[in-house]
Amino acid sequence: MNLRVIRTGVSAFFVLYLLAVIWPGALLFRHAEPLILGVPNSLFWPALWIILGGVALAILDWAETRAEAEVEITH
Amino acid sequence: MPSWVVITLIVGAYLALTLAVGLRAGRGTSNSVTGYVAGDRQFGLLVLYFVTGATVFSAFAFLGGPGWAYSRGAAAFYILAYGVIGIAPWYVLGPRAARLGRRFGFVTQAQLLVGRFPSRTLSALVATLSLVAFIPYITLQMRGAGIVIEAVTEGRIPLWAGAAVAYSIVVFYVLVSGVAAVGWTNTLQGIFMLVIAWGLGLYLPYALHGGIGPMFQGILESNPEMLEIPGLTPGGAPWSWGAYSSAILVSAVGLSMWPHLFMKAFTARDDRTLRRTVVLFPSFQFFLIPVFLIGFAGVGVISNLDHPDGVLPALILSLDLPVLVVGLFCAGALSASMSTGDALLHASASVAVEDGIRPFRALSEATQQLLMRVLVVITGAIAYVFALDEDQSLVVLLLSSYGIIAQLAPPIVAAMYWRRATTAGALAGLVAGSAVTLFFFLNPTLRPWEIHEGILGLVVHLPVLVGVSLATPPQALEHTQAFTHPSLPERSTE
Repeated sequence: MNLRVIRTGVSAFFVLYLLAVIWPGALLFRHAEPLILGVPNSLFWPALWIILGGVALAILDWAETRAEAEVEITH
Repeated sequence: MPSWVVITLIVGAYLALTLAVGLRAGRGTSNSVTGYVAGDRQFGLLVLYFVTGATVFSAFAFLGGPGWAYSRGAAAFYILAYGVIGIAPWYVLGPRAARLGRRFGFVTQAQLLVGRFPSRTLSALVATLSLVAFIPYITLQMRGAGIVIEAVTEGRIPLWAGAAVAYSIVVFYVLVSGVAAVGWTNTLQGIFMLVIAWGLGLYLPYALHGGIGPMFQGILESNPEMLEIPGLTPGGAPWSWGAYSSAILVSAVGLSMWPHLFMKAFTARDDRTLRRTVVLFPSFQFFLIPVFLIGFAGVGVISNLDHPDGVLPALILSLDLPVLVVGLFCAGALSASMSTGDALLHASASVAVEDGIRPFRALSEATQQLLMRVLVVITGAIAYVFALDEDQSLVVLLLSSYGIIAQLAPPIVAAMYWRRATTAGALAGLVAGSAVTLFFFLNPTLRPWEIHEGILGLVVHLPVLVGVSLATPPQALEHTQAFTHPSLPERSTE
């Protein structure tokens, strides 16, 4: 995939991330019930986004590294 | 042997180990300002990872986090929410700053700003703002160390003495080894506190409530609002959405702008190392979860606590744990406090000398280094005085300093990405933003929707920065291009 597309996608993801954990996004997951894996929904939600955030950064890094390697080969 | 003696011995051994690592670390670096402040730009991935992680895992996380979960419930989840959003821009900003640092020899954030916006006033202003934000941050680390030592020795070593001993060690190794000591001790301390946090975070809910699920079930039955975002105020009333959301926002904006984190861009060996640190950062954020579990484990178990920040030590002592575990816990909490405290002390001294004094007075390399070391001691002493009589929650202390630090974000981003930004614009924005932040900090009841004063400051800061920049003549293209397009070949200025 094009590096520019991935960069835009990851940036959009982080905007979404922000909206999901503050008002109004967090309104949807503010309640404690149901308990998921023993922890309240309201704690599970920000924890889930940490994992998604890590994945998004890893994808970005993979794409950037690959693009850099290509530049080095063509030079 | 009484148990507190054993605990004190374990803690003593741990402190000795930290000191040894800190002193040894300085041997590899050169005896220069770049060596003392930026570690000769030779930090690798492991060290940089823990240095970055230590900014999250401070006394604030280890004691303030459980304190908030215990007393304010879901309000504490804001701490979980901002970290990854806050570090993500660093993936782009960090390597750019590092590249500019290598090209122009910058070792502090203000030097980068002044490189683009030549103004000694700007340099002094950034130095002042950084120090104003640093002092409460260092204060809370010291108090954290004091609280822990006082609790586990059953008051035999009072807060003032515990904080003094722990921070004398920190000051000593920072004096001798500079940033190299910060890097290597943070690595040792980081590993230590991760193990302790997860160990206790999983163990305490089981020991006290029969598991994590039953623990939350119990809280749901007795106090359901506690687990609902945005949680509670210190008084137990529901917290507002404006306060919760803007706490996340201001912390996300401010996170990578903390001088002790930002300056680490100048210590990295290369861009790859910096970027990987960002990619691995969410793992550190995840380690905050057990910290909250510890706080919730105290609900319904510990009552009549003078200060919620003491909930973790109180839990540890209520359990009749083996002394070895208590001693290790104590060392882990001290790690959290000291690993952030050393970075802060080192950064504030570096900033004060490089940005506050050097632009106004020519200093020899040797004098600069001597001054930095003197300032490490002075800053430590000032924070120590505050640590003794301050009566604020650890989290509140930190959240207030974030308002100031967030004001550094617009000029930093403009310096590296916006060609049209001017010195007058950067200066006017910073003054206006800081003034508004200060005003609402002093008059909290005037804030609309209880929005954090730092965000209100930014709302004024940004239009002033843009407006004044556009109203003043642009900078020369050759000058701005070196910052906004650092990959282009350098033009000759002769």
